[in-house]
Amino acid sequence: MNPAAKKILLVEDEDFIRELYVRQLSKAGFEVKSAADGQTGLETLKNESFDLLLLDIMLPGMNGLQLLREFKTQNPASTMITILLTNLGQEAVIKEGFELGAQAYLIKASYTPDQVVNEVKNALFGSNQTPTPPATPNQT
Amino acid sequence: MEQKPADKKTLHIKIAFIVISAVLLPYLVGLFIPLNPILSILLAAISAVFSIIIIFLILKPLQEVINSTHIFSDGNLNHRIDIRTGDEFESVGNSFNLMAEKISKTIQTYEKEKDIAVSQKSKFEEILSSVIDGIIALDFNKNVLFLNKASKEITGYTEAECYGKSIAQLIHLFSNNDEIFAKTYCQEGFNQSVNVVGKGGKQTKVSIMTAQVGTSIQTNLSCILILHDLSKEEELEQMKLDFVSMASHELKTPLTSIIGYLSVTLDEIKDKLPGENLELLRKAFIAAQQLQTLITNLLNVNKIERDQLSVSPEPVEYFPILSKATEDLRAQANQKNIILTLIPQNQPLPKVLADQIRLGEVVGNLIANAINYTNPGGKVEISTQVSPTEITTTVSDTGIGIPQEAIPHLFNKFFRVSNTGQKANKGTGLGLYITKSIIEKLHGKIWVESEAGKGSKFSFTLPIATQKGSVLNTDQFTSYAIQSGSLNY
Repeated sequence: MNPAAKKILLVEDEDFIRELYVRQLSKAGFEVKSAADGQTGLETLKNESFDLLLLDIMLPGMNGLQLLREFKTQNPASTMITILLTNLGQEAVIKEGFELGAQAYLIKASYTPDQVVNEVKNALFGSNQTPTPPATPNQT
Repeated sequence: MEQKPADKKTLHIKIAFIVISAVLLPYLVGLFIPLNPILSILLAAISAVFSIIIIFLILKPLQEVINSTHIFSDGNLNHRIDIRTGDEFESVGNSFNLMAEKISKTIQTYEKEKDIAVSQKSKFEEILSSVIDGIIALDFNKNVLFLNKASKEITGYTEAECYGKSIAQLIHLFSNNDEIFAKTYCQEGFNQSVNVVGKGGKQTKVSIMTAQVGTSIQTNLSCILILHDLSKEEELEQMKLDFVSMASHELKTPLTSIIGYLSVTLDEIKDKLPGENLELLRKAFIAAQQLQTLITNLLNVNKIERDQLSVSPEPVEYFPILSKATEDLRAQANQKNIILTLIPQNQPLPKVLADQIRLGEVVGNLIANAINYTNPGGKVEISTQVSPTEITTTVSDTGIGIPQEAIPHLFNKFFRVSNTGQKANKGTGLGLYITKSIIEKLHGKIWVESEAGKGSKFSFTLPIATQKGSVLNTDQFTSYAIQSGSLNY
């Protein structure tokens, strides 16, 4: 359970949110890289391997789902965990994300950065962390 | 000009004079010159020829009279005869001119009146055409007498396709898939929003109003239908909804940053900052969270109005949902020194047919409301009652209650009870509207019983997931209460 051994890629176009998440995840001990758009994110994924991908859906240019589809086509055997960062009211998109292999989603507006870090820990090390709201919808 | 033509015999005298002259001429000549028979005959012949030529000249104006009548009857009403022979021909010519004058005057008057009538008619048609609403006039047999421009656009028919045809064959009116027949909508005072199906299945959402006219048999007019096109209004409504949705989403992005940064800041400096300063930051954080709740509610209402509120009912364990919602709000209750109790059932609750996330919102919202409107030291209780087909959940409080006059409006959008005199009254007026919409989507009912000053009791039902017997608690009382639905809003 050593966060330093885990590499995370955050793809998020909102500068403030990206900076904050990177800061909190780094503080929690993870090795964090970030990308501000889908294309950069996909290229980063090509060059390096990550343990977990925090993926915003609404991105300029290539959106989150397109990125995920592209990545899965190129790396069908990848074991990287994907958590979708969503806004409210994107049920259909979330469902599509799960079909593409995403493991969880979290609604950015309803989660504090620390809750996001907890979700990441849960996803990587199992859910023996502090209680948080459910990270998966009831139907997948 | 005004002399009586019958008095004049000039023409007769002229002709008689010539005949007499022609006959007498050979005799008169014979008085002076001795004539042999051959010469007499020659003279008589010459006299006859002259007479004929003169008679022909006298009768010449007759041709002009004939020609003139032809020209006049061909439509040239300005043609007049000009004969100055002083005989009957002049008289006929004058009479003809008089008649022509009178006829053309009469015709001119008629033309003028016709022009006035036409312009009046086109003025009315212009007025009716420029009316934005569709107008259709029907006769006593419900055949179309008139339709204006707007109703042509709504129904898709042209005048020629409509006039004299039965309205029942031209258009069909539907309200929620039920057809409304002509005998219904042709009644005075009919006023309803319907779908009109016109030519070739053309559909338009309209509000239709009927006015009975039928007293005058002469006009054969029995009723007038007024069709108000609602599709443009719906388009506007859709634009409004789109705007609210877009604006709310756009607001969420910076708000997420604000809440995120505040939460991290609060967490990191809570031990370093004096309590007073920390309180300032905490209030900013609470306000930001309230704003977030408001935006979330606005988006939910937006979804309800677009009919896009997704609810996926499936059998779910109910007690954990109740327990989670209660625990989530326990801190808030403790802060106000309110005793929050989830009354346990003797036996496990059956599964309900519901959407876990949405149901969590409903229960959470009702408990949060109860805490909000209850004074410190009060009590909030959550209890359940099971009937064969449904579970009734009741959230009761010892709070400030709801005035009777407010109860019928309680579940309306943006409704807030005024004059509660409470600081706690800071809701958006959307929570109960959303709650009711969700419960109804889950095939449940929601109602409230309350007395000002004594507290409120919000109850809602949820269908039990499986019908497979083993009724846990057949509480006759409960089912009676539900059936009578004393306060079912």
